[in-house]
Amino acid sequence: MAPLLEALSIGKTYPGGTVANDGANLSVSAGEVHAVVGENGAGKSTLMKILFGIEQPDRGEIRLDGKPVNFANPREAIDQGIGMVFQHFSLVPSFSVYENVVLGSEPRNGIRFDRNEAIARVRELSEKFRLAVDPLPPVGQLPVGQQQRVEILKALYRDAKILILDEPTAVLAPQEVEELFVAVRALVAQGRTVIFIAHKLPEVLEISDRITVMRGGKTVGSVNARDVTEDSLATMMVGREIALRVDRTKGRGDVACEVKALKLTAESGATIAQDLNLKVHAGEILGLVGVEGNGQAELLEAIAGLRPIADGVVYLNGTSLSPLSVLERREQGLASIPEDRIARGLATGATIAENLIATRLADKRFVRNGLLDLKAMKANALSLIERFSIRSGGPGYAVGTLSGGNMQKVVVARELSEQPKLLLVNQPTRGVDLGATQFIWKSLTDARDGGAAVLLSSADLSELLALSDRLVVFYRGKIVAAFVNSDDLTAETLGTYMLGLSSQDPETMRAALQ
Amino acid sequence: MSTTSPSRWKAVRREAGRALTAVVIALAVALIVILCTSADPGAAFRTLLTAPLSSNRTMGLWIDDVAKLTLTGLAFSLVFQARQFSMGVQGQVYMGGLFAALIAMSPIGTTPLAIPVAMLAAMCAGAVYGFIPGYAKARFGASEIVSSLMLNYIAILVVNYLIRAHLAPAGTGQLMTAKFPDTAIFPAIIPGTRFDLGIIIALVATFAVWFLLYRTSWGLKLRLVGHNPKFAEYAGIRSSFIMVSAMTVAGAFGGLLGSVFVQGRAFGNLAQSFDGNLAFEGILIAIVARSRPLAVPFVALAYGYLRQGAQLMGIRTDVPTEMISVVQAIIILLVASSFSLPGKKFFMGLLGKKPAPATPEAAK
Repeated sequence: MAPLLEALSIGKTYPGGTVANDGANLSVSAGEVHAVVGENGAGKSTLMKILFGIEQPDRGEIRLDGKPVNFANPREAIDQGIGMVFQHFSLVPSFSVYENVVLGSEPRNGIRFDRNEAIARVRELSEKFRLAVDPLPPVGQLPVGQQQRVEILKALYRDAKILILDEPTAVLAPQEVEELFVAVRALVAQGRTVIFIAHKLPEVLEISDRITVMRGGKTVGSVNARDVTEDSLATMMVGREIALRVDRTKGRGDVACEVKALKLTAESGATIAQDLNLKVHAGEILGLVGVEGNGQAELLEAIAGLRPIADGVVYLNGTSLSPLSVLERREQGLASIPEDRIARGLATGATIAENLIATRLADKRFVRNGLLDLKAMKANALSLIERFSIRSGGPGYAVGTLSGGNMQKVVVARELSEQPKLLLVNQPTRGVDLGATQFIWKSLTDARDGGAAVLLSSADLSELLALSDRLVVFYRGKIVAAFVNSDDLTAETLGTYMLGLSSQDPETMRAALQ
Repeated sequence: MSTTSPSRWKAVRREAGRALTAVVIALAVALIVILCTSADPGAAFRTLLTAPLSSNRTMGLWIDDVAKLTLTGLAFSLVFQARQFSMGVQGQVYMGGLFAALIAMSPIGTTPLAIPVAMLAAMCAGAVYGFIPGYAKARFGASEIVSSLMLNYIAILVVNYLIRAHLAPAGTGQLMTAKFPDTAIFPAIIPGTRFDLGIIIALVATFAVWFLLYRTSWGLKLRLVGHNPKFAEYAGIRSSFIMVSAMTVAGAFGGLLGSVFVQGRAFGNLAQSFDGNLAFEGILIAIVARSRPLAVPFVALAYGYLRQGAQLMGIRTDVPTEMISVVQAIIILLVASSFSLPGKKFFMGLLGKKPAPATPEAAK
């Protein structure tokens, strides 16, 4: 069968000299689910942006139905039946679902916006493709999974024959992923074609028919999903064998951090989290499980001193943290790897050396009499670059010039350059490639073995299951379940608690909370 | 960058190349304007390009402008690096000028201490005037853009009133004070020109600002707050303190410029509306210099040359003065827009090249 959409030896160099694509090939047949996998920086997103007309290739050819095409902008791609759903949605939160779907191509009745027609069309599409969503409520009130469906409906409303989904599962709970897959299968069954960008290999193997693997801007190969295993795919992606296994804690120490009856409120006064009680021992990793927005991130921010505590206390080795400033908390041995490295964890315009000491500006080694010791800063940067294998041009380069994984390593290097007593970690490997993930995991377990109490939050359940010694599940700002990690504990079990489908009896929970 | 990076010279070359291209395009437009408005366009254009070098006196005018543009450029660079958009340099200049004049006209004015004390008084006045919008922002959340602009008007009008009603010699109807005693006026480096202590002060100030920003922990904190305030908060840096102190220190440099104005050989007294809006052109200098203090004097040198050439063209030829402002505005527009406009591809196409890299951030 002739391929529906082809990309032939695409080359794309960004201004600034980053080679994103260098001989990327992709051949997608009609009616298949085609996954594109690869590490961060492998060029997947760039290739998709080229297919969708956001970027123009420097060389190479795109063929649709065998005919060469050239999209100057997304509009032209949409007109040719290509739709794309981005990781970050482009929805108007205050508009209703149907308004969002039809926005820009509204059905009209004369010059009037025909709302009834729009609602009917959205209902029809959502039934046809099993994307259950109520057309009437404002999008901002919907959970992430439903918002994603609205995005997909938007593309389908514009009659997309080929649908590109950019890391669609990154923001979803396991059950929501299942529902997405049901919808994807419905799409394919009705003759649509889906291109699926992903990081998580088990999902890729489950949903896709064919898989194209990219590495370093090139296409490494295309394989049938049923012919490969997770391991062989991972090897193709990174070009070497990789083991994502970590050792459990060898034995935990005393309670290092205790959270008692903690309550957090938003500026508006709305309660974000309440009745939070937990203990973390030195030398263990406590995983905070929950769909994003259920209070885990806010708990970490409150402990770090970035969010006021409405009620309750947090103790670190017997000292209450509430009256302490961020700097004083850090002096008590607190370190924190924030959720978003670019928004919170780094000053991307400043150099690597400057970023690496930014949290230690009271340290006599780097600052004396208000003056910076540039030599010490440089030496510190060189040794951390070496110790954490940060790939960079040198200490004087701006952090913004690094790849995502190396940026994250700068954050990890800064926070772990001294052994912390309490380490707060949120999304340590989001958007980070396998090699760097492996390294960061190792760094976290090293910190744990060095005696740190670690609080870990992640949207990636496999990461939580791999690293945590104990896990607590957050649902709507409360801890609803607690587990001691074991091989029997699965993502699906956690998922039922994350979505509030099951509840744990208080005794079991109390036992696991100790 | 505090640590030398190998890409530094490349960046310098790129920025300089961009500024030069802007100047060339602006000159081309200026040529068209001159062709349309002048009876002798050749002479007018030559005046624009060469007049500042025509005599010691004109070179003095140019260097005097460079000193002042450098100081205002530095004051803006400081607040811009902290990502504060305080527009208050003009008000600080007036306050600084007022206090320098008060010292110069006091008994101290006739002693050898006149120059240093007046400069110090001017810096303190400027610092206080810079502190106000900073504090208002930190304490009450007032937008520093609005409050600093309003404070500018207050300073200008108060100073103008004081001159008219109290400081000008009685009965003369002049809108300026009497000349300061010689001890309170900057000595000329080249006699008979405006080439005076001002340029030395500007160069020392350049070094001081560079040192503050790149060699002190306060400067690093300031830049980190400027790069990413959320990161600064997370790292435990007190960003409101940095914000207020940045505006205060910048205010001191603004005040210093006030002293350079009134004590310089160009004036030697306090006159109404003495800054001729030069204080505001520091925004342009800071933008073109990317708020890098060491680049500020060079930008001031080039821009001051064009500015002086344009003014001399306005005096010596028949090109209307309004057109001079048009040409200046075009330079500002071209340089500040950083060529991220579609025009770039077109120009590169003319040269037969592919578009050159411009935004490494876009690469992902």
